[in-house]
Amino acid sequence: MSPISRIGVAMTREALLLHTLVELADNLVDDFDVIDVLTVLSDRCVDTLDVAAAGVMLASPAGDLQVVASSNEAMRVLELFQLQADEGPCVDCFNDGGAIVNLELSTTDGRWPRFTPLALAGGFHSVHCLPMRLRGRTIGALNMFRSDRGALEDADVQAAQGLADVATIAILQHQAALNAQALNDQLNFALTSRVLIEQAKGKISEACHVDMVVAFQRLRNHARNHNLGLTELARGVAEGAVNPIALDPLKTRR
Amino acid sequence: MEERLTRILLLLSEGGEALPGPTRLCQVAAEVTAMDGAGLVLLSDGRFQGVLCGGDVVSETLAELEFALGEGPCLDAWALDGPVFEPDLASPFPYGRWPAFAPAGTDAGARAVFGFPVHVGAARLGAIGLYRDQTGPLGDEQHADALVMADVVARAILSLQAGAALGTVGAELATGANFQAVVHQASGMVSVQVGEGVGDALVRLRAHAYGTDCTITEVATEVVARRLRFDPLEGEETGGGVPLPGVR
Repeated sequence: MSPISRIGVAMTREALLLHTLVELADNLVDDFDVIDVLTVLSDRCVDTLDVAAAGVMLASPAGDLQVVASSNEAMRVLELFQLQADEGPCVDCFNDGGAIVNLELSTTDGRWPRFTPLALAGGFHSVHCLPMRLRGRTIGALNMFRSDRGALEDADVQAAQGLADVATIAILQHQAALNAQALNDQLNFALTSRVLIEQAKGKISEACHVDMVVAFQRLRNHARNHNLGLTELARGVAEGAVNPIALDPLKTRR
Repeated sequence: MEERLTRILLLLSEGGEALPGPTRLCQVAAEVTAMDGAGLVLLSDGRFQGVLCGGDVVSETLAELEFALGEGPCLDAWALDGPVFEPDLASPFPYGRWPAFAPAGTDAGARAVFGFPVHVGAARLGAIGLYRDQTGPLGDEQHADALVMADVVARAILSLQAGAALGTVGAELATGANFQAVVHQASGMVSVQVGEGVGDALVRLRAHAYGTDCTITEVATEVVARRLRFDPLEGEETGGGVPLPGVR
């Protein structure tokens, strides 16, 4: 059983990718640290793909990009990532959600007045940003720098996007596990509410000879008039504590 | 363990979505365990809360049967909080275990069924139902894959719920899900008709569906359309309309 046999990339890269994914998965199983996972991701981009430095930027709740992991802790590299909180390809990739691939820094024509000179001074010639997507929204970006001239191969770009996608799933899986009880309670509350409301609608519909739409209006109207929660009132009706006929009649609109 | 998880995450990421929805989860669950289909149901307090994803026609039918009949592998997996195996659904034993589900499930095209609880720690969410159109046990490899898959599914469901407003089900979870609204509406109506609680009313709907060889959804639809009424007398239905499948 070859877990990644379906990925059509070269054998050595396949092996390295598999190793990376196993490392990521290992982190998921044991004490999971998001920063660890993303650092693994950055390191492996450099090992596996033809890039000199890689880093992951994630959006903070306030919406600005922060460096969370980097393959290289050298100040000049970190600075390049940090600078992109304000300007640079990562910000652009994050803002429009599209990948930026094989962007030659010498051709950026003053688009990023601080970022470009710093990157060129660091010996980087091209930059690549791949979005980390969730619900059609971008939660961050994988940023890679290349010192050699020439384009990154398509297979490398695809492999990098694959790693970014897996890392995104890993982050989400982790967050879900941390909040499992609260989220499950929330889900159960929502599901139970739905059942109670539908049952109450059925009782009102039958007892008052109205359709389901009007039944729901009566339920909501009465809840509002008496400052009751909709679920609370629905429970009362469904379980028989509240007589559906006794609910406030709907006012006719003027 | 790591390799299994890796394989599953990789398959999920191929869907091109960072947050795979119930449909993709079911596809991968079936693929990774080499089954013919997988369905995903939500349960709480031992009660069926809805079918998140039928995955395929047979799985959809199996989930609906469990809901209608109140028995089957997903309900058992949830109740036991452990896996349930039925390698030969048509053999005598499952008929004793699930007297209504086993023959109906066989008719629907399943010859082997398996249920796995979906939980994260103490938070119990539901169950995955797997089926195959051939008899035979679940291999050790498949069993191990299914356990890891169930963990991944549990976390994925919670992730999908994470963005939802309080009191609502996450939009991606609700898409394509069947929360049996019409059945609960019909339970409310029948409860008034027969002067019993909604729980008893649901039992009446189930019994009627079983007795007339209809699905509970079909019976409920007839009730809500006011073509079928139940009366307080033991087990008798009155009023116009025969609850035929497909009649609207």
